[in-house]
Amino acid sequence: MLPPPLAREGFHAPGTEDFEWPAIWEIHLGGFTLEINRTALLMLLATLVVLALFLVAFRRPKVVPRGLQNLMEVGVEFVRRQIVLEVIGQDGLRFLPYLVTLFFFIFFANVLEIVPGINFPATSRMALPLFLAILTWVLFNWVGISTQGLGRYLRNTLFPPGIPWPLYVLIAPIEFVSTLIVRPVTLSVRLLANMIAGHLILAVFFLGTVYLIERPATAVFAVPAFAMAVALVGFELIVALLQAYIFTILTAVYLAGALEPEH
Amino acid sequence: MAGSPDRKGPGGAEVAWSIIGILLAGVIAWGGIGWLVDKWAGTNVFLPVGIVIGAVGAFYLVIRRYGRG
Repeated sequence: MLPPPLAREGFHAPGTEDFEWPAIWEIHLGGFTLEINRTALLMLLATLVVLALFLVAFRRPKVVPRGLQNLMEVGVEFVRRQIVLEVIGQDGLRFLPYLVTLFFFIFFANVLEIVPGINFPATSRMALPLFLAILTWVLFNWVGISTQGLGRYLRNTLFPPGIPWPLYVLIAPIEFVSTLIVRPVTLSVRLLANMIAGHLILAVFFLGTVYLIERPATAVFAVPAFAMAVALVGFELIVALLQAYIFTILTAVYLAGALEPEH
Repeated sequence: MAGSPDRKGPGGAEVAWSIIGILLAGVIAWGGIGWLVDKWAGTNVFLPVGIVIGAVGAFYLVIRRYGRG
C-alpha cells in the first residue's frame, strides 16, 4: 500500500453528509414528527422571495412599466413567448401563471446555492424536485383527460397514431412507462442531480482553497483553486437558470402533448 | 385537426431528453414484463429477452417519431 499523498491528509472531501441538516424545530403530530430544518426554511424563503417580487412589482402596474415592474415583465414575457407560445400555442396561455411561478420558484430555489451566507440549494434534496415533478405529472394527465376524455386520452397515449396496428402490443407498454413513469422520474432527478453536483463541486473548490492555503507547501495552489471556485459560481448561476428553464419548458411540452396529441 | 397555426413542436433539448426517456422506458417496460414472466414461469430467459424486445421497440418508436428529416 502506498502512503497517502501529502496533500490528502486531513482534507474533508464534501459528501452526502453535507446535505443533511439538523432539525431546528420539531412539530409533533400524533404518530410522527415533522422536522423543520435548513432545507425547509430555504424552501420557505424562496417562496416568500417570489411572492414578494411579484406583489411589489405588479402592485400598481403602469402601462409603461418602470423599475421592478419592467424587470419582472421581462421574466414573464420570456416565459410567455419562449415557453408557452413557442411550445403550446395560444391554448397554453391559461397555464402561464403556473409556468411563470414554476420558473421563478425553481430559479430562486436553485440560486440559493450561490447566495453568500446560504450556499445551499433547496432543490438539492429530493422532496422539492419530486413534488414539482408530481405536480407536473398530475397537471398534464389532468389536462389530457379533461380535454380528450379518459378513453381517448389513454388511447392516444398508449397507441399513438401512425404505427401499424400489430406493433401496438410492442409499443403500448413502452409508451405507458415512458409517459407515466419515466417523465416524472427524469424531471425530478435531472433537477436534483444538477443541484447536488453544483453544490459538491463548489464545496470542493472552496474548501480546497482554504485547505491548500493553510499549508505553506501547497499555498500557491490555492490561487487557481480559488479562481476555479469563482468561475464555478458564475457557472452555477447559469445552471440555476437553465435548470429552471428546462423544468418549465418540459412541463409545457408535456402539456402540449396532452392538449393536442401528435398526428 | 382544427387549425392551430401557432403551435410549434418541442425544440432540440426536449427531443434529446424524450429520446432518452423512450429508450429507458422501452427497456424498463419490457424488461419488467419479462421479469414478471420469469417469476411466474420460474425461468430466467425472459428478462433478457424482454430487455432486448424493449430496446428494439424503443428504437422503432424513436425512429418513427423523430426520424423524419
